[in-house]
Amino acid sequence: MLDVDAVVVGTGAGGSIAMRELARAGLKVVALEEGGYLRPADFDQREDHMFPVLYQDGGGRTTEDLGIRVLGGRGVGGSTVHNTNLCKRTPDAILDLWARRYGVEGASAADLEASFTSIEKDLSVSEIASDDINPNNDALRRGALALGWKGAVLRHNRIGCQKSGFCELGCAYDAKQNALKVVVPQALAAGANLYSDVDVRRILVERGAAVGVEGVAHDGVGSGKRPVARVRVRAKVVVLAGSAVGSAALARRSGLPDPHARLGRGLRMHPGGVVAGRFDESILAHRGIPQSYECTEMLSYEEGSDRRVWIVPAFAHPIGTAATLPGFGAAHMRSMRAYGHLAVLTAMVHDETSGEVDVDGDGEPVIRYRMTERDRVQLAKGLVACARILLAAGAREVTIPAVPPVRVTNARELDALDTSFVRPFSVPLSAVHPMGTLAMGKDPRVSVVDSTGEHHQVKGLFALDGSLFPTSLGGPPQISIYAFALHLAKHAVAAAKR
Amino acid sequence: MKLPRLPRLPRRKVLKAAIAFGVLGATGSLVALVRSRGYEVPQDVRGKLVGLEAWQYVVVQHLARRVCAGDEPGVVTPDEADVAGFVDGYVANMAARMRRDLGRFLGVIEQLAPAGLAMSSRFTHLEAADQDKVLGSLESSSSDLLRGGFEGLKALLFMGYYRDPRTWRILGYDGPRVEARP
Ligand SMILES: Cc1cc2nc3c(=O)[nH]c(=O)nc-3n(C[C@H](O)[C@H](O)[C@H](O)COP(=O)(O)OP(=O)(O)OC[C@H]3O[C@@H](n4cnc5c(N)ncnc54)[C@H](O)[C@@H]3O)c2cc1C
Ligand code: SF4
Repeated sequence: MLDVDAVVVGTGAGGSIAMRELARAGLKVVALEEGGYLRPADFDQREDHMFPVLYQDGGGRTTEDLGIRVLGGRGVGGSTVHNTNLCKRTPDAILDLWARRYGVEGASAADLEASFTSIEKDLSVSEIASDDINPNNDALRRGALALGWKGAVLRHNRIGCQKSGFCELGCAYDAKQNALKVVVPQALAAGANLYSDVDVRRILVERGAAVGVEGVAHDGVGSGKRPVARVRVRAKVVVLAGSAVGSAALARRSGLPDPHARLGRGLRMHPGGVVAGRFDESILAHRGIPQSYECTEMLSYEEGSDRRVWIVPAFAHPIGTAATLPGFGAAHMRSMRAYGHLAVLTAMVHDETSGEVDVDGDGEPVIRYRMTERDRVQLAKGLVACARILLAAGAREVTIPAVPPVRVTNARELDALDTSFVRPFSVPLSAVHPMGTLAMGKDPRVSVVDSTGEHHQVKGLFALDGSLFPTSLGGPPQISIYAFALHLAKHAVAAAKR
Repeated sequence: MKLPRLPRLPRRKVLKAAIAFGVLGATGSLVALVRSRGYEVPQDVRGKLVGLEAWQYVVVQHLARRVCAGDEPGVVTPDEADVAGFVDGYVANMAARMRRDLGRFLGVIEQLAPAGLAMSSRFTHLEAADQDKVLGSLESSSSDLLRGGFEGLKALLFMGYYRDPRTWRILGYDGPRVEARP
């Protein structure tokens, strides 16, 4: 058994910062990470090798009803290891909403400025050079410009990028300035200890306070996973940073007090569908920086807005593309032959739907998420907007991979399209941004943790990851998660010193 | 081996029954009745299976031949790419719950889905054209679970197929570049 001041569960965006800040405060810290500790030399750019080790459930995790594929990371560095490095701050309108509606205190844009600035410096965040916009992103840019729609070049956290296009499989060139490369080493240098391949199964609570965790160290993955030892850590502070799915599942299977049935509720995840445009010219979307341009024409952060879609390119390697294109057999292979000529965009919904993370009989996460009609309408608008952009950029034919597939070759056909076919199960959907299952707020009836990240009922238990957010962000979450973890870590430090 | 005759039920009724069973949950004794008999897997392959049972391996082999069928002669076949062997290894590393669900879904395809089209043979005994009809019915099924299950399975089969570098030529995909690492 280990006896420490603080234990951190998970080492992604939030967990890496928590372990670093606690260690820098001179505390004895241990971080436990379910996945392995992989290095750049391990990332071999093959989908069939990397998905099983880098992603939860080998990339096969879905909502309970199989309607949405939910991708999340597993391993030291969490989802930052295989994300696409887009960096945006939390929009001011979202921070205002959290203060106004959820009573979140001390988290205005001004309050967070120092944390945003600090994390952006640590991660070397900069604007992507316009020379580095690949033809897939350029199709989005050209289409948006032709339509007179709002768009911008994005910011990222890369240095020395070789533009290989393999970001979602981990960076073999160590160009990503992420939790794995930057923050975890800083935490270790500050004296934190890290144990990988340890799955935390239970939070230990005594007399209303967290006193540690229990877990299992293992070899291997999936059902090949072999337990090798039980791990028990006693600590004054427990930090949950297992992502909005992992942290909520751990909290639920630990049977934490939940007097207002909020634990695991309020899941948002930016569900998105894709649209592919076939061009005469070669696009080779899989090469270069995968995402460098965004279209925000249909994105407003105002509460209740009917413009809640964020559009960015969606690239894929052969397996991902094959899984997304409609049909099977010879007809499918004929579509695959156009691979090098496809530009693909995704429309992600800045969602209002409130899903839930529960656990099954084995204590494993069960994700329930049934898209509301308002969000379905947004999804439909977003897919049509993607199709319009691709046509405006010069696509010869645009396909929405619905069942049956929708194909259009000009704007007139698109105008005439009845979008009622867009339903959660009629188009393949994915979600890569789970948020909000241990939401912060003032009122314990609608939130799980307070504005410092500490659990309303269990003292010394903090959530410092994507689960904190009371609503969807409407954009890439990593910078918000890093910054909130940094902003709130001082409260966990104070609790450990209490 | 000839199967026990399945009841002819209207398609919607079969699908509803499947869902009532949980589709990806228990598909009942129907599958259990036949799944261990009549599936020919070469002894050397049978001895090597790590994730799939022999009957599941055969179903996956048949599915791969249809889902990953080539569009012209000469392209690498799913058997050459050993899609079923890949799925076997992949399944062995899946969480127990997902492995269970996949096995049950294979049972649905083998037993219930053909019956839903009033076909009286199991999937692996059907002609290729009929197998395509069964798969088409799953892809366009009004049941969210069946459609979702089919999409998941399709992704797994394509992973088995397009992981083979010989298939990349079909796409003009240049593959990993790690050897060019600075
Ligand atoms: C394909 C993809 C692309 C993305 N692209 C971007 C992007 O460009 N920009 C952006 O801002 N965001 C992006 N994201 C999302 C972003 O990476 C995540 O929102 C962010 O990393 C989440 O941080 P987190 O701390 O909440 O959890 P994570 O970073 O997911 O880390 C959680 C960690 O906790 C571990 N864990 C979970 N449960 C346990 C347990 N019980 N015991 C021990 N360990 C546990 C997990 O293994 C994991 O390593 C992307 C995500 C994906 C999947
Ligand atoms: S595109 Fe850049 S950051 Fe992404 S994997 Fe390649 S070198 Fe790494």
